[in-house]
Amino acid sequence: MAELTLPDSRRCQYFFLYDGSKVRGEGDPTRQGICYFYPEETPSDKQDLLCSQLAGVGRCVSELSSSRVSTLRLRRCKFAIRMKDDFFWALGCSVDTPTVSVCELLDQLIDLFCFYNGPVRTSYEVNSQETLAARWTCFLSHLLPGHSPLTYIFSCLRTMDSTNVDPLLLLKAALILQACQRCPLVLAGCILFKGRVVSTQLSPELTMKVMVHESETYNKAQRTNGTSPPGSFGCAVSSTGVFLTPPELQHLQSPPVNKDSSSHSTPQKDAPPKRTRLSRTLSDTPSSESEPSDPSSSHSPLKLSFSPHLSELDSVFSPAPTQSGSPTCSPPPPPPPPSSQRRNSHEAQEESLDESCYYSFHDSAGGDSQGESFAFKANPRLNGGDGSEFDFSGPSANKTMSGDNEVCCRSTKGHMTEVKRLTPPPQTFGSNEKSSLIPMTLYLHRVNSLVLVLLVEPHFFSDTASKEEVYHSSLASLNGLEAHLRTISPAAPEPPGQYLFAHYDCIQNTLATNVSGRAVGAPEHPFVRATSLLHSHFCGTETLQEAIIRSAGTAVYGTRSVAQETFFQQLGGPPRNSGIPNHQDSAFSLPSKARHRLLKHGVNLL
Amino acid sequence: MKCLLIASESAEILFHWTDQEFQQNVQEKYRSSQEEGEGLPAFEDIISTLFAPIIISCGTMVYRQGDSYTSFTTENNHIYVLCQFDECLYIAVNGDGEEKEDDLRRKLYVMRKITEVMFGMVTLSGSLLRKELRPQDTEQRVRLWKHLQSLLDTYNYLRENDQSFLVEAVERLIHPTLCEQCIEFLERRLVQQINSSSQVERAGEEVLHTFILVHTKLLAFYSSRTASTLNTSDLLTLIIMAQNMYPSNVELDEPSPEVQDAESTSGSGPESFYTPEPSPSSRDSSSSEQPARGSTPVFEFVDPDIQMAEDSLHTLEISPPDPSTPRRVFLELKDGQLPMVPHSMYCLPLWPGITLVLLTKVPNIQLTRSVYSFLEDFTKLEKCLNEGQAGSGAARGQLNMHNTRSKLDKFIRDLGPNELQCVQLLNVWTEFKNRAFTRGGSGFNKDLIPLCKSMKTQLCSLYRQRFLTESGSADGPRCLSPALQERAQTMVQEKLMDWKDFLLVKSKRNITMVSYLEEFPGLVHFIWVDRSSGQIIAPSLSITERTTSELGKGPVAHYIKSKVWGLVRTTRQYLRKGYSTVTLRDGDFYFCYFLWFENENGYRLEAGDIPILPDDSLPIGMLGYDYYRKLLRYYGKNHQGEAVKCYELLTVHLGVIPTEIILQHCRQLASKLWEPSRNPLL
Repeated sequence: MAELTLPDSRRCQYFFLYDGSKVRGEGDPTRQGICYFYPEETPSDKQDLLCSQLAGVGRCVSELSSSRVSTLRLRRCKFAIRMKDDFFWALGCSVDTPTVSVCELLDQLIDLFCFYNGPVRTSYEVNSQETLAARWTCFLSHLLPGHSPLTYIFSCLRTMDSTNVDPLLLLKAALILQACQRCPLVLAGCILFKGRVVSTQLSPELTMKVMVHESETYNKAQRTNGTSPPGSFGCAVSSTGVFLTPPELQHLQSPPVNKDSSSHSTPQKDAPPKRTRLSRTLSDTPSSESEPSDPSSSHSPLKLSFSPHLSELDSVFSPAPTQSGSPTCSPPPPPPPPSSQRRNSHEAQEESLDESCYYSFHDSAGGDSQGESFAFKANPRLNGGDGSEFDFSGPSANKTMSGDNEVCCRSTKGHMTEVKRLTPPPQTFGSNEKSSLIPMTLYLHRVNSLVLVLLVEPHFFSDTASKEEVYHSSLASLNGLEAHLRTISPAAPEPPGQYLFAHYDCIQNTLATNVSGRAVGAPEHPFVRATSLLHSHFCGTETLQEAIIRSAGTAVYGTRSVAQETFFQQLGGPPRNSGIPNHQDSAFSLPSKARHRLLKHGVNLL
Repeated sequence: MKCLLIASESAEILFHWTDQEFQQNVQEKYRSSQEEGEGLPAFEDIISTLFAPIIISCGTMVYRQGDSYTSFTTENNHIYVLCQFDECLYIAVNGDGEEKEDDLRRKLYVMRKITEVMFGMVTLSGSLLRKELRPQDTEQRVRLWKHLQSLLDTYNYLRENDQSFLVEAVERLIHPTLCEQCIEFLERRLVQQINSSSQVERAGEEVLHTFILVHTKLLAFYSSRTASTLNTSDLLTLIIMAQNMYPSNVELDEPSPEVQDAESTSGSGPESFYTPEPSPSSRDSSSSEQPARGSTPVFEFVDPDIQMAEDSLHTLEISPPDPSTPRRVFLELKDGQLPMVPHSMYCLPLWPGITLVLLTKVPNIQLTRSVYSFLEDFTKLEKCLNEGQAGSGAARGQLNMHNTRSKLDKFIRDLGPNELQCVQLLNVWTEFKNRAFTRGGSGFNKDLIPLCKSMKTQLCSLYRQRFLTESGSADGPRCLSPALQERAQTMVQEKLMDWKDFLLVKSKRNITMVSYLEEFPGLVHFIWVDRSSGQIIAPSLSITERTTSELGKGPVAHYIKSKVWGLVRTTRQYLRKGYSTVTLRDGDFYFCYFLWFENENGYRLEAGDIPILPDDSLPIGMLGYDYYRKLLRYYGKNHQGEAVKCYELLTVHLGVIPTEIILQHCRQLASKLWEPSRNPLL
């Protein structure tokens, strides 16, 4: 991890996590509260100064305004601030980075940490600061890549150039993912090729998080030069534990047709509004087939295998069935004791979780057919992933179980959302909101540069049958897909000097652009600057549809719709002008030029 | 939820201004943290306690990191803006979403400008300004703070309601004939008569500038031949001060309809389409009377916020100053080369809404020039000493302290050694000389820095004593005699008697949009500004409860107004980043903004690169800080030898109009508006 190239220090100047609970008294040194500070080589007195002053001022302003501070600006540096419990995060970027982008970056960084490590408080209790520092460094390096100046403005996924890939291949990738979902323990997944998304069923935010691990393992593999042949089961497949937030999980589990309504039932206050789609591919044409809006046609191959699962979910969201003895308003039951001792390290926890899942699975539903286990899927989150909850999950089990468990089951179902936040998590989990993070597992299957990543239930790996089923059903298609993708030659480079453009899809978080990564040099810099300004303006003004801005040497056109933002600049120097209103000015022909030129990039501005 | 405060480095509150809501909020916050039964301390103490950590941290960051906070925002959209001016920290807070970060920073710069105009070079010394802003005497402090608070209220009101304070340029009444007559009258009759009256009667003062304001608009402006031009920033500040003294009541001084009908035929064209509702007679009858001298200026804004803020100010009743006493104002001369020269400002109300302003030169202003040049010398020396290069030959040559020495020796000799202030100055100067110039002294090194500071304080103190506290001296206030002032007032009243009602109407419908509609169908609004002379031309946008503007009243008018205000804010952001042309399609409207340069003959100059400034830098405008003067200077570097003019045009069109047509309109509009602006302001 340490070998990774660190982000350009000019843009990201500081990042730190400060734990105020460690510095309570007058005499407590600031140092004690600093959990992580980037750049690590910063002199420690400067670290102390920044942490203590910013955290102090942050607290003072929060008290004055009865609200947490979100940004803090100095003359030379701009900080996004997040405060939660006693933690204080600050990400400082250069002043010309748009404020929205800095805030977004910090949120992503914190989310990413929680995704792989669980709640922050807990991870700092069970892990050494050094271990976690290494992770922060790693996440930072992933989020602040230097490959294009535009990535500082749009936090976007790197995708295959859909204009350069046979749509059938993208369709094939989507089908592989759908096939994997036949196994009920598989929630959703995505397929990546050389660090780019080929197809994903996950939300852009989740896809981005998942990709970090993929490139991590890829880098490790590259370093050891141990890329194993795809045939051997053990080497090609790996896994890691991750944590989902309740909205994320609910979103993944809800049936594609009713996503909107179901996601509303989760009033998670501070969760960003999630875009609701399950199945998604990146090329325009094939993806429409897998749109949730048309479930009858797109999900036909899945329909059969999914139906028990769907019906179970429906019952989860419907009011308690008649047989329920207790009303739905009964308080959530105390968490059942964990079925196995949990150890205190994150890795161990994960292991033990697998074990416990495995055993409880067999204890409660052992005799039942595999089909019954579909229903288990919805439940682990209810108690923060504790294994024992599997006791009450199968529909047949309901009838045979003891009364206590039945009550538990009913009330939990009726009050799903409340339970999620109210149920005190067992043992080590703190009482903060993050405690509602639900452990899941990431399944990775690598075929050379192609990777299949699946979010699976934690006990997937103990379920040999499911594991083998997923592995063997996808192996051949993955090999085939890899072979095809490998042969694709990179797109012919644009003839330079014509125009610059950036097309940002806000729904899919993707960016199409011909601004190259390397040269932050002369011709592209004005475009990036203008784009950054216009993007901020678009973010702040909902009614704004299009804009042309011109300085002495540059004219940039920006337009946006609900789903996308497009920016365009004609290169080759418009003749110098006087700036006085003139309809013959070349700047005002930019909209028509953009419409015309961008068609071949698959951007339709009509 | 608004607040503005000035704090010293030691976290002492030198001035604060808050609205009722903020005050209540802060008090509640404090009460909740307090134990039962304890009384609430003075508001000033509460605010000082709550803000102290921010102020202290700010100092720490400057000292140790060499960087300072410029803004904070919170999740519930409260905005804090901080600016360090010399040794004082200015903080503005907004918690109701009505002001953006840029507005708050602008407000701080305006506050700074107001203190400069009121205290002159005293603002250059932190310790003296502290004493000035926070007098020991409670009554004096309350009076001063009340005055500053009401100036801020006036500014806030104008920025939110008056286009000329939105774009920070002066608006003239468009009536060339009357304007010309008035200027001639001011020159031949008024100024001449005052300046030729006896030395005793005018107490050695001399009228330099005089102007007539109708509400915030300029009817006529005359400067005597010896006077240097008054810059826009100062003029706008004076208008705020005049408005603060005699606030115009937008709602109530509508003249009766008969007068309007009579006037509508008198030449200004298509305005006659409008017939106002009759005014309530109760106010109207009295409004034509000249307010009795010595009566309290009534605050007449109907805006509830203003009213509320006023209420909070009335808690401590302070007798108003005698209106015949002029205000001491410090204005810039010679295009900024000589800042903060003392003048006296006489505001003579003619009728409600119409005011005559006289600016006079006070005796002994040559002292300002000397003090300023000595201050500059010591500042330069201090800088060199700080950088540790005073010993080098180059620095010595540049500083030329020996030259300063002989000049300062002569200056002190001429002052006459009797006054206490002069004695103190002489003492410090002698010590300085002993250290710096004699053989036994330490010479030019860092040890001299405290003495440099001390010299500056003494010089400022001398200036303060001569120009700020002078009116309190034994021989009574030195100013134009009340009789002379009254004579001037009566003269102008007689001259304008027949025009009075017309002017009041005209000021609200100076330019009407309807006269442009035929030529520019689809045009909703425009603002045209000549930045070289600081003048705005724009159709009236006054929206009040009682009267109907051209946009009608109610939501549509308010919506368009808010769009225009928002557009100005947006285009400033782009201009700050170097973009001089902006077009936006926003909802049902299409907005255009252009900034361009011309030479004096109207020949278009090529667009030059406009400096790119950070977001938290100076506000773009002319009031608190004259950005456009800097811009013109920057641009003019490549156009030596010709006078460069700078123009701005903002338009709002209906979105359905084809872009091609809109751009043609903008072009035609620019050339059409160019003509009237050629009329000289003076």
